[in-house]
Amino acid sequence: MQVQDDKQLEELYRITMPKVARMAHRMNGNLDMARDILHDAIIIYLEKQQQHTLPELHAASAYITGIARILCIRQLRQKGYDLPLESVSAHIIPENYFDPPPVRPGLLQYLQSAGKRCMELLKAFYYEEQSISDIAATFRFKSLHSASVQKYKCLEKVRDHIKQSDYAETVD
Amino acid sequence: MRKQLTEIEEIDAFLLQTLRGVPLLVFRARLAVSAELRAKVRQQQQVHQVIKYLGREEQRQQLQAIHDHLMEDASFHHSITSIFQ
Repeated sequence: MQVQDDKQLEELYRITMPKVARMAHRMNGNLDMARDILHDAIIIYLEKQQQHTLPELHAASAYITGIARILCIRQLRQKGYDLPLESVSAHIIPENYFDPPPVRPGLLQYLQSAGKRCMELLKAFYYEEQSISDIAATFRFKSLHSASVQKYKCLEKVRDHIKQSDYAETVD
Repeated sequence: MRKQLTEIEEIDAFLLQTLRGVPLLVFRARLAVSAELRAKVRQQQQVHQVIKYLGREEQRQQLQAIHDHLMEDASFHHSITSIFQ
């Protein structure tokens, strides 16, 4: 099943949350833990969908519950429980998924506000992996070439902010 | 495109592993001798990490909104909270 729009996402949430809640409860978790794990599982699922790396014949809800189970086990292991986690299962979680923020929080906030249009454009290209023609239409570029040039200008702009931030940290 | 943007495009191809063959070998050779280019590659990699991080954060906010919306439904709310009682 492909999740195509917000309505499908809400329906998927409605049918999957009870399954993940029961599983989290069996593992001594609470509602907040179940919710956070479900959110991570859905995000991982949607990323796999965008990258076309989902195995075939997997119903979305069952697959997400499977990811949530791995995330639950991971969390319990961090709390010191001795639970096995097969290496095959561990690979379902993207590498670096739980890494801390890549830059300091102030810079993240700045990029979200002052650099909003650029971040939206870069997100469409790299995170959502939309086609360049869709992006050109959404962001009202006159041509595919202008969309592509703007993408690189935005990369340059954000990279410059990171460079300045690196420099400021070095001076501090 | 101006020279600086062409270099950004090339670094991007390197990071996304779409740079291949002779251009890849030439790029690697330039990387080996240029600390400035290595810094640019590292910073551009950070840009990609930031995009992914903010993309996930935004997705999380959207899921939280769905959660809040569904929990307003008394029947759904009960079906979830009763599991933890």
